[in-house]
Amino acid sequence: MALFGFGQSADIDIVLDGTQTRPLAEIKTEEGKKEKHYLYYDGESVSGKVNISLRKAGSRLEHQGIKIEFIGLIELYYDRGNHHEFTSISKELARPGDLIQNTSFPFEFHNVEKPYESYTGANVRLRYFLRVTIVRRLTDTVKEMEIVVHTLSSYPDMNSSIKMEVGIEDCLHIEFEYNKSKYHLKDVIVGKIYFLLVRIKIKHMEIAIIKRETTGAGPNTFTENETIAKYEIMDGAPVRGESIPIRLFLAGYELTPTMKDINKKFSVRYYLNLVLVDEEERRYFKQQEIILWRKGEKVRKPVQMIQSPPVERPVTLSTPSSPQSLPEQDGEKNFTREDQDQVNPLPLPFPVNKENVAVCNSDGEQ
Amino acid sequence: MPATPLTPGEDQEKLLDDAVAVVKVQAFQMKRMLDKDKLMDALKHASNMLGELRTALLSPKNYYELYMAVTTELCHLEIYLLDEVDEHKGRKMSDLYELVQYAGNIIPRLYLLITVGLVYMRAHPGSRKDILKDLVEMCRGVQHPLRGLFLRNYLLQCTRNVLPDSDGVEDTQNPQNPLSPDARDGLLMYTRESEIGMPGTVKDSVDFVLANFGEMNKLWVRMQHQGHSRDRERREKERQELRLLVGTNLVRLSQLDAVNLDRYKKMVLPGILEQVVSCRDPIAQEYLMECIIQVFPDEFHLQTLQSFLKSCAELRQQVNVKTVIISLIERLAAYATRVDGPGIPANIPLFEIFSEQISTIIQSREEMPSQDIIALQVALVNLAIKCYKDRIDYIDLVLNKTAEIFARQGIKSVQSDTPVGKEMLKLLRMPVDTYNDVITLLKLENLVSCLDMLDVKGRKTMAILIANNMIDNETKLTTTDQVNTVLSKLLDVLIQAEGESLDSVDIEDFVEEQNLVARLISLMQSDSPDDQYSILNSARKLLANGGPDRIRFTLPTIVFQFLQLAGRYSQIREEDEKWSKKVAKIFQHVHQTISALTKAEGCSADLTLRLYLEAAQAADRIDFADHETVAYEFLSQAFSLLEEEVSDSKAQLAAITLIIGTLQQMSCFSEESHAPLRNQCALVAANLLKKPDQCRAVSTCAHVFWSGKTNSGQELRDGKRVAECLKKGLRFASQCMDSGVQAQLFCELLNSYVYFFEKGNVEHIKVDTLNQLIAKIKELMPTVEKCDEVEQIQAHFERTLERLSSKKGEPLYEGLTL
Repeated sequence: MALFGFGQSADIDIVLDGTQTRPLAEIKTEEGKKEKHYLYYDGESVSGKVNISLRKAGSRLEHQGIKIEFIGLIELYYDRGNHHEFTSISKELARPGDLIQNTSFPFEFHNVEKPYESYTGANVRLRYFLRVTIVRRLTDTVKEMEIVVHTLSSYPDMNSSIKMEVGIEDCLHIEFEYNKSKYHLKDVIVGKIYFLLVRIKIKHMEIAIIKRETTGAGPNTFTENETIAKYEIMDGAPVRGESIPIRLFLAGYELTPTMKDINKKFSVRYYLNLVLVDEEERRYFKQQEIILWRKGEKVRKPVQMIQSPPVERPVTLSTPSSPQSLPEQDGEKNFTREDQDQVNPLPLPFPVNKENVAVCNSDGEQ
Repeated sequence: MPATPLTPGEDQEKLLDDAVAVVKVQAFQMKRMLDKDKLMDALKHASNMLGELRTALLSPKNYYELYMAVTTELCHLEIYLLDEVDEHKGRKMSDLYELVQYAGNIIPRLYLLITVGLVYMRAHPGSRKDILKDLVEMCRGVQHPLRGLFLRNYLLQCTRNVLPDSDGVEDTQNPQNPLSPDARDGLLMYTRESEIGMPGTVKDSVDFVLANFGEMNKLWVRMQHQGHSRDRERREKERQELRLLVGTNLVRLSQLDAVNLDRYKKMVLPGILEQVVSCRDPIAQEYLMECIIQVFPDEFHLQTLQSFLKSCAELRQQVNVKTVIISLIERLAAYATRVDGPGIPANIPLFEIFSEQISTIIQSREEMPSQDIIALQVALVNLAIKCYKDRIDYIDLVLNKTAEIFARQGIKSVQSDTPVGKEMLKLLRMPVDTYNDVITLLKLENLVSCLDMLDVKGRKTMAILIANNMIDNETKLTTTDQVNTVLSKLLDVLIQAEGESLDSVDIEDFVEEQNLVARLISLMQSDSPDDQYSILNSARKLLANGGPDRIRFTLPTIVFQFLQLAGRYSQIREEDEKWSKKVAKIFQHVHQTISALTKAEGCSADLTLRLYLEAAQAADRIDFADHETVAYEFLSQAFSLLEEEVSDSKAQLAAITLIIGTLQQMSCFSEESHAPLRNQCALVAANLLKKPDQCRAVSTCAHVFWSGKTNSGQELRDGKRVAECLKKGLRFASQCMDSGVQAQLFCELLNSYVYFFEKGNVEHIKVDTLNQLIAKIKELMPTVEKCDEVEQIQAHFERTLERLSSKKGEPLYEGLTL
């Protein structure tokens, strides 16, 4: 309608309450661009005003009703046609009629449930947004506003360390230990590698954080592995009896909480991959899943407390690996030797070393 | 990165140049960013710069160059951060400490962590304990020996001024400047919660340095076992180049003021020794033990000798323990003798400790070369001498041990030109050079058995040393025992033949040795003549066994000593009534000695003849009973010698001249004895072979007839015989063919004539004779061919004439025509 210059048209503006104090959170778009949106937690009310301003003063706007929706949906990139809405709440702002002047409509989604965390992955995206629709006869006027949701978890009751002895017979035996099995996103992985037997010429050792995103189900399952961080923890060849410390700060990396079977559509899991490289460039590695969770800020503003405290869910997304049983299992006992390491660009706040860059380039992933 | 780290020299240079170029560029960028206050960018460039230290291609020397270039630049970052910290204290530091740990590569990460850690500790002293612990643990991530060594060296260098050095007790209730909770999360599980926020004490510093030391040493040792075995030599050379890096840890420990004796004993030394012993690497063990000795004060060593030496026994067989112990002993010996020092505390039995521990060490090391064992004994003696000079028993103990060790090893003889022999000589010469007193040496019961272990050459060296020492210090031998021991035990090799052929001996050396022995005899002096008698007798007997080649050097001295002794008896005749008998006895020995010499092959008759004449004169002087007979005997022996042994005409002339002179001096003979003797002189003189010799001999003989004395005390004044002698002289002279010689002889005779004429023999010498003689010479002179000799003769003659012309006026010379 506006195209032709006839009739009335309107601009919709959504203004959220409390934006002065509400933090912004960064999220990637599908194209990989970073955007910042207001951050909400599960159970927090989403309220504000919808301002509709008319473009032509003195002329009325006829509509079939005005509504606002709170939508949470999952988009699978290979299935563009189908969006899976897991949340959709609609509120009517105005019954069908005419708008004769700029009008402001307050709205509130009270203590609205936001069960999942916003996520942009390789094959899947989970997003929340508000959508205002002015229903018109021919074309609706629509305005959407993204918000970001973080899911908080409470401190896990069970958080045993990961300890395991692995090796290749008569060649290499190590024992590694990570101090926890569940880490919050600002956590530090502390651990050590103890060398029980070294008969190969090790050149260096690194630890990588691998994100595994699984989408779909059954035969249509897609798995995407991404190396989030690659961290050299040892230079040179150790001898028997050496113990090498590990300390990896997680805060600097782009991590999300572990997500398991989100709405039966996708999962995001994290693994620590311990890699030893020998002088012939052979790689020996051992992957171990770790659970990542998001920890609530320690100091919360009292306003939020009164209004609607964010829900913290216990970290029960996956059973932690039992450290005692693992060494006994045959499959777990052995290192895997890999010939190709898949590496993605590292989003470190720190310069990526040349070697890693070179590998990235050769893989053509950039 | 290839496995073999080394490329040839040229490539090395290029690699280094390239790396340094990168460092320069990145350092420049880093500094530019720091100037603009862009810390993140600066860190990025710093990390790039540090990335160059990841190389595996450089030799240790070049890696060091690179390291120096990098760490110099890193200082700028450190200075910037220190300034920064002054402005906003607090959280920022722990954030920074976390931030640098995002560096993906471990080498840059740890260098940055150390740099930031240093600034952290400077800004918050309360963090020192934890940060130090954290840094030293985190560095474990670098297991590559070369890179690890330099990284840890950087750690050590950076922390040198922030190591806690207080010995106060920590106040655990009120930690100062506790770390922020975030920082605490970042620290390792190695830190106990309750200790968070402690500024630390010296114990933490010691733990820190010991941990770093242990790790560095492991890395250093590991270098030995990497790479091909054919590169071993190069590898060991490289390791030697890097040893300072490891040793710096010990230096750092020694620089901690709060490390007192007690802490050294309980914490520091046990920690070091444990590492040194357990690393089982000879190069490391040897260097580090040496290092301990050099860097820690002597007061500490004195109190920890037992544990140090015990560890020495546990070192690898290849370790040159000898060097280690010797250098410790040298240190302590120097300490003991320091002028302003307190000396060795009385409660530390230094010598005993060393002695026992060295025995243990020797026993624990079967492969120890004998020379090293002896070298240890040398060190022990050195210690005893420096610290306990009056304890000669210590030295004897060492010698005893040495003999025992040889016995145990079944060694009977030591070649002196082998390493063992050289050490042995060193061992034995030390007491000689120290005490400068052979009498003291005689107290060393085990000295002789050690000397006997040496071969002839070695014993000779020692004997010469001892002999020279005695002479230089004028060490008197005052008893027969001393003489016997010195000669037969210490110097036996010089005075005994022992079937050794002299053909193999350098004759000059031999002469020198024997002269030494001869000089020693004059050191044998007792205050009592009787003792002196037996001393000389013993010496004579011992020396007489030396064979003809030796006695001609040694026995003459004995003869003179005997003659001197006889003189002494004569002087004390009032005190000793048996003096005459004793002197007679002495002359008997003298006679025996000289006749032994005459029988010795190769001994010159000239020597023995002179000895007889000396003896005769002595007998003449000392009027013991029968001294005339004795003197007569000696003179007659001299005549026999002249007749039988002297064949050279010159020697004959010399000999008869000597005899004549001797006889002329003597006054003990009665007329009955004197007459045959003087006639014999004249006879022998006249029977010489050559005319000039005959001429001179007879004119000399004239003196005996003129001024010779008998025991009546009167000079003979036998003018007739004098004139006969001179006349014979004239006859012999005129028989000479050479007119020059003739002139000379006439001239000499003229002098003789003038002498006796003036002495009063006017009855048989007339002025006419003089006139004839002068005329004869004048007539002869022009016929003589001109030469130097002639000028001399001419001068001689002219001076004679001058003298005569001065006397011409005297009545005696009436009728003299010149």
